[in-house]
Amino acid sequence: MSSSVSHGAHDEAHQKPLLGSMGVDSRKLGLWAFLGSETLFFVTLITTHLIFYARTKATLAAAGTLEHLDPRTHYLGIELTTVLASLLLASSLTMVLALAASKVKDWKKFRFWQMATILLGSAFVGGQVYEFNHLYHEGLKLAPQYVLEGETVKSLFGVTFFTMTGFHGLHVTIGIIWLIATYVKVAKFPDSPENPMDIELAGLYWHFVDLVWVAIFTLIYLI
Amino acid sequence: MAEHVAHDDHSEDHESHSTKFYWMIGGILAVVTALEVGIFLVESSFDATLFLVILLGLALIKGAGVIAFFMHLRGDAKIFQFVFLVPLLFAFTLCLGFLKLFSNHVGIAG
Repeated sequence: MSSSVSHGAHDEAHQKPLLGSMGVDSRKLGLWAFLGSETLFFVTLITTHLIFYARTKATLAAAGTLEHLDPRTHYLGIELTTVLASLLLASSLTMVLALAASKVKDWKKFRFWQMATILLGSAFVGGQVYEFNHLYHEGLKLAPQYVLEGETVKSLFGVTFFTMTGFHGLHVTIGIIWLIATYVKVAKFPDSPENPMDIELAGLYWHFVDLVWVAIFTLIYLI
Repeated sequence: MAEHVAHDDHSEDHESHSTKFYWMIGGILAVVTALEVGIFLVESSFDATLFLVILLGLALIKGAGVIAFFMHLRGDAKIFQFVFLVPLLFAFTLCLGFLKLFSNHVGIAG
């Protein structure tokens, strides 16, 4: 940097976002593009599950056993899932409140809301582990068949279900690690001009995992 | 100094307004979720198509609320909207197309 640039100008330049050729912050653009690709990833998993569930239903209906062997009706209750959906929705709210606090440099509020987001996310993952464990003991496994009322049904329902929700749980876990990293970084360097953008990026990813659960909750558990 | 204080007051006002707004959006999304669950519980009193349309509509409202207000895509740079919404639209199309093509397909498994 030229020595003629004043210290004030240096600070100003340092606080500007990393603008790329598109005139927007490159990191944010990259994250949005990544999230765009993630929509394709999750929609593929959801679609695959829906197709194989439709196949299973058709097979059971043809055999006249749909009533008592329908895997969705038997395995997927909405009590726990509604709690999980509420936890993620609440965490989205706390995340955006953490971001709002960071923008006015209210680090006390930021720490509170960010920690709330981390705890709500952790509760979601805990709930999902409980659900998986419960389903496993009920006979739904990561295998090309499931066992219901002593009968073994050949179906990819379990495989596609655990792959889809498992990948979502993995994304939530990565999100929690990201949020913790941001929390620690802000606590260590409260004066860093990059804090609001770092928090915004972590927040974008976090809202996205909530968005995916909105789709899974409706398409897999409710409809 | 006075200018600095005035700026801080403005920031606090802005935060307070934003915070209130986010709580309102969160409340609306919670109500929509409650509606979804309520409709699911009284499913039998709905026509199957109507049930599907209502639940998909409510999910769309929730998703749009999260994207527009929590992710701040509404009012953000057009390029962000482009790189996210185009793949999203493509994903929707892909989902509908594959469901139509393969839901009744007899394959090697299923």
